[in-house]
Amino acid sequence: MAARGLVSYFQEPLCIFELTSTSKRDALAEMVDAICTQHRIKDRDIILEMLLNRESLGSTGIAQGVAFPHGRTLAVRGLSLVFARSSAGIDFDAMDNEPTHLFFLIIAPPQDKDNLYLQVLGQIVNLIKDDSVRERFLAAKDYGELRQVLEQAAS
Amino acid sequence: MTETKDQAKLLVALQDLDHMIKEVQDTQTSTELKDMGFQMDNIGELKNARDKITAQIRPQLLNRYERVSRTYDRTVVPVVNELCTGCFAKVPTSFRYEKHAVMTCESCGRILYFI
Repeated sequence: MAARGLVSYFQEPLCIFELTSTSKRDALAEMVDAICTQHRIKDRDIILEMLLNRESLGSTGIAQGVAFPHGRTLAVRGLSLVFARSSAGIDFDAMDNEPTHLFFLIIAPPQDKDNLYLQVLGQIVNLIKDDSVRERFLAAKDYGELRQVLEQAAS
Repeated sequence: MTETKDQAKLLVALQDLDHMIKEVQDTQTSTELKDMGFQMDNIGELKNARDKITAQIRPQLLNRYERVSRTYDRTVVPVVNELCTGCFAKVPTSFRYEKHAVMTCESCGRILYFI
């Protein structure tokens, strides 16, 4: 999958430029709520439980203020991606013990046979390793600017 | 929320967890995720979570899940457009409104989940 294709996974209603949550669990719930509202999903608790179970395996807060909560659940119909940000930072049990500011939550159904979600996850992880890209994700003021970051990073 | 509804949701949560455990145990997938920088060390936590879920599922239903899972990778499948997405057999419309039982596909035996 070309990195350019990533833009299509970032939907405006699923971009939260300032999380209201201050804890790990609440931040995950806030992002899951965005997916459930957008995609009219009724079983929010199943998704949240899956993500919390994934976090118990090992925090998805990799480092440098970025986390990638992810996993598969039957409760969603297709791949969903939430971009979220917290200016203050959230204690996400990150590997470097630093607060997390950027979140890319990716969930997919188990029937995603092409492992698209691993491809999308890998693409974003690679992008975010670049300090300047990370800074631009932090600075993007709105959805338009976020799209620009993605498009420029892919070019 | 009915007890049946809860049981169906617990089966979905159980399958999610079983897939996660399988993913961790799959060398190719776990290597890919570890190469991205993810930690996947506490598999014991997943097994504890599984025990907690299974303790809440009626034994007969859990047996059905375990039995079907020996045949199919996906034991619980969503119903889309009135079709079982495991075998694509038509699912009677009345199944959606069944309040007293967790429904299974009459064709393949998979457990049905109404999204």
